[in-house]
Amino acid sequence: MTMTLASMTRPGDEPLPKRPASMQRFFRETWLLIVRGLQTIPRVPQRLSDVTIQPLVFTLLFLYVFGSAIHIKGMSYQNYLLPGLLGQSLAFGVIGAGVATATDFNTGVIDRFRSLPVTRLSVISSQVIGQILEQILGIVIVAGMGLALGWRPHMSPFGFGEFLLLMLLGLSAFTWFGVLLGMIVKSSDAMQGIGFAIVFPLSFLAGTFVPIAGMKLVPRTIGDWDPLSALVASVRHVTQGTNTSGSWQLTHPVVSMIFWCVLIIAVCVPLALRRFMNAN
Amino acid sequence: MAMTNDAINSDELVVVATGLTKHFADFVAVDNFNLEVKAGTVVSLLGPNGAGKTTIVRMLATLSEPTSGSATVCGYDVVRDADAVRGVVSLTGQFAALEDNLTAEENLLLMARLRGYSKRTATRIVEGLIDRFDIGEFRDKLVKSVSGGQRRRVDLAASLVVQPKVLMLDEPTTGLDPRSRQVVWSTIRELVQGGVTLFLTTQYLEEADALADHIVLIDHGRAVAAGTPNELKSQIGDQRVDIVGIDANGVGLIVEALSSNFQLVIDHNRRTVSVPAPHDLADLVAVTGALARVSAHVDEIALRRPTLDDAFLALTGQASEPYQQDQSIAEVTP
Repeated sequence: MTMTLASMTRPGDEPLPKRPASMQRFFRETWLLIVRGLQTIPRVPQRLSDVTIQPLVFTLLFLYVFGSAIHIKGMSYQNYLLPGLLGQSLAFGVIGAGVATATDFNTGVIDRFRSLPVTRLSVISSQVIGQILEQILGIVIVAGMGLALGWRPHMSPFGFGEFLLLMLLGLSAFTWFGVLLGMIVKSSDAMQGIGFAIVFPLSFLAGTFVPIAGMKLVPRTIGDWDPLSALVASVRHVTQGTNTSGSWQLTHPVVSMIFWCVLIIAVCVPLALRRFMNAN
Repeated sequence: MAMTNDAINSDELVVVATGLTKHFADFVAVDNFNLEVKAGTVVSLLGPNGAGKTTIVRMLATLSEPTSGSATVCGYDVVRDADAVRGVVSLTGQFAALEDNLTAEENLLLMARLRGYSKRTATRIVEGLIDRFDIGEFRDKLVKSVSGGQRRRVDLAASLVVQPKVLMLDEPTTGLDPRSRQVVWSTIRELVQGGVTLFLTTQYLEEADALADHIVLIDHGRAVAAGTPNELKSQIGDQRVDIVGIDANGVGLIVEALSSNFQLVIDHNRRTVSVPAPHDLADLVAVTGALARVSAHVDEIALRRPTLDDAFLALTGQASEPYQQDQSIAEVTP
């Protein structure tokens, strides 16, 4: 503040920018906000640990610790476990997206964006897209690790396309769900706690590591109707061609997974948007 | 854009709030709040924590929708023309709203780019702001690693990127050390000289007194008084002589010496006895004379005008932030 008033460059001297058409504005602002998110990653690399280190640890632990005692009829444990882990990482995306959203909404920086003449949709869509990009990184790491350790998927080019589309649908659904939860819960610590309390048991009951059919009555019943079971079974179906026995949703995993994802999106997107637009 | 010059036209009403009300479930945060802010002035909302200051600012900045009532900023309705309002208002919240993991410069550039400027223009604007707010020495530091005062400066600079006609600062110096507070104050004064209309909330009387042309005292979501700092002071009476005793016994002696001839207000907590002094020096002489006759020792004796503290105490029934411990201590002798 050593400058005199006369020598100051006032921002008021710059002509105000022209307002482009709203679609163009939306894409420009979304892009700027996504870049902002990506820019911060090298500064806090530990933030990515949930999509990098954590899945690596899980893969190694289950493959070499539990895997030594688990025998799946007709296939290697790698081929059983990896589709399960891919499904599980989709589900864990809920926690990642929720924690990131809760953190962002707590610092006031979102309020500043909201008080700018910026389309509000771009603020929330950049949040969702940024999260999806992070989750994709995690999935690529799990898949790459799996391939290196002996996972052998059996997919036709058509099947591979189906696999990619299913993963993308799952990512969108679970990320929106996480963003909505993050906005409701507001504290990132609470989000972490609640997320693990719900997603962790559901993902273990989902036939991720051991077949549901061999479980005792109560866990088997939960596993039969756990939405994450459909997720895991459908990934297993498209990558290995394996069919899962059990409830209707397990014998028709792809249809069930599409149903669950569409349902989640249909419920969460409007709620999240409404909450964001009218947040008090 | 000639916004800074337009704003100097002082008859223009920049902010108008009519019956603004906000309920959170059963809780009435803001109750029928009315306000008019003229262009180029500094208006301060003054009140204790939880009085509803932040809620009012958030409604005016379109971050929160009023339950009832309405408000306009530069003629735009905060609900119907929210996007237009966002183009003329800039809000700096209670907690510096910056991306912690970007540098000071990156934060400013992001704001300018989001405002719609091309990369080149944004860079030019940001360079100007970095000079103006002395950000140069820490421009490449991550915002999370700079001091509180530096962070505020980046925050203020960021709020100017959008070229606001109305700058809203929500408790701009809360949590700052006295030196940083002075820096923020002088920055604010420069902005006002540049023609920006400023709407400021604070819980510090000193701050409102130092910066504002017009003060609105609010308590429990309602405006309890409004006026210039001088008007508010005069609302609660004339000047008076304050005598501070050395200890409790000293205060007792002072009261004894004065109580037969003067009406006293005694604040034991501050060891202060106050005597109304409508006749200025004549009253001061009378008081000192009475004290000299009994050889009373005093710590301090002064003729003083009522402060905003007194106004706050008188109008809301509670002391403002720094003196909260003094509530309900004052007593009046016959």
